[in-house]
Amino acid sequence: MNSQNLTLVHTGTVIEEDSLTLGDLCRACGTHADWIICLVEESILEPQGKEIRAWRFSGASLIRARSALRLQRDLGVNLAGIALALDLLEELDTLRRTLNHLTIQELGNND
Amino acid sequence: MEFKDYYQIMALKRDCAQDDVKKSYRKLARKYHPDVSKENDAEAKFKELGEAYEVLKDPEKRAAYDQLGANWKGGQDFKPPQNWDDGFEFKGGGFTTDGAGAAYSDFFEQLFGQAGAHSARGRHQQGFESRGEDSHAKIHINLEDSFHGATQAISLSTPKLDAQGHVQLKHRTLTVKIPKGVKPGQHIRLTGQGNPSLGGGLAGDLYLEIAFNKHLLYRVLETDLYLDLPITPWEAALGASITVPTPGGIVELKVPPNATSGSKLRLKGRGLPTREPGHFYVVLQIVLPPADTEAAKAIYRQMQEQLDFNPRLALGV
Repeated sequence: MNSQNLTLVHTGTVIEEDSLTLGDLCRACGTHADWIICLVEESILEPQGKEIRAWRFSGASLIRARSALRLQRDLGVNLAGIALALDLLEELDTLRRTLNHLTIQELGNND
Repeated sequence: MEFKDYYQIMALKRDCAQDDVKKSYRKLARKYHPDVSKENDAEAKFKELGEAYEVLKDPEKRAAYDQLGANWKGGQDFKPPQNWDDGFEFKGGGFTTDGAGAAYSDFFEQLFGQAGAHSARGRHQQGFESRGEDSHAKIHINLEDSFHGATQAISLSTPKLDAQGHVQLKHRTLTVKIPKGVKPGQHIRLTGQGNPSLGGGLAGDLYLEIAFNKHLLYRVLETDLYLDLPITPWEAALGASITVPTPGGIVELKVPPNATSGSKLRLKGRGLPTREPGHFYVVLQIVLPPADTEAAKAIYRQMQEQLDFNPRLALGV
């Protein structure tokens, strides 16, 4: 039979804007809650919800938290430095994307 | 096994002072850090740098490495001489980089033992029932996959501990459903597909970060799509109804009279089909027909004679 051709398809859940709890984020980053709380106090992460138990993080927070962790571990950057670096990196990323967008448009004009 | 020239990797001379090692590491680490660097092979370079630093910052490991001699070149086939490490005591411990993910090269492990074995012991102590670690990967999908949903096979390599506690990279393929409406930067969580638990607990989760491949026609900005649409001068001047390709199918677009090049027309809700669908923007590009026949030239001349038009009026000339 052709049962060998069948492959198991894994279905995941999409992380929407506000779906990660503090516990989820800690596990996903392999870090302690204290560290995440420090990131929130430094406004590096901005969860929805007032109380810690009600905090909900976005998928973008996951990227930021993991970058923060690496910056501290690999380069010895402190929290204020991480906040600054992440903001600048994000701005750089936006600028790069806009530039890319514009360059393509310009090339289009010259065609 | 390839010889690794740690001095060359760290841009140092063999007789440099111990202080220089740290300075050079800091400088290069900032340059090649995968979060900061945009160089293609930043991740590999950063890993190599970490390994070189691991050896050279420790006077004892550095002395042992120096003992191999200065004649080796990076990439050369290498076998450590017998009893080369007599009198040194670094085997099996003293590694600062933590975690099984920090896999060193064969060259490093032959000389200095496995860092994984050391850190794995540390992780065991966290408790036998502890859940496996979550893992992360990035996948590139096509724009169409987000529109229609798709399945994609991804290959992953995960560090696993063998019976001796050594770290081995295990490769596996996972077929994953790409749900309709995902956008770049979004994550998909696959429960239980992360790293296995070391003590019989639940496996961790796998987080997949979505990135889009470049598309021939459309540009993606957040949830919006952009298309450069070439139109004729008469379509732009008189207005027209034009067919436009979108990932969701062909759409009829009304171009208003006196449209200008570069102006954007919005097709509401025809961007990425996310929870709040993005928009589809058409950027008009007016294309002039070439004046390469007598008939074409005659028409341009007629326009020149009959239209009172100076596009440089605002320039005062």
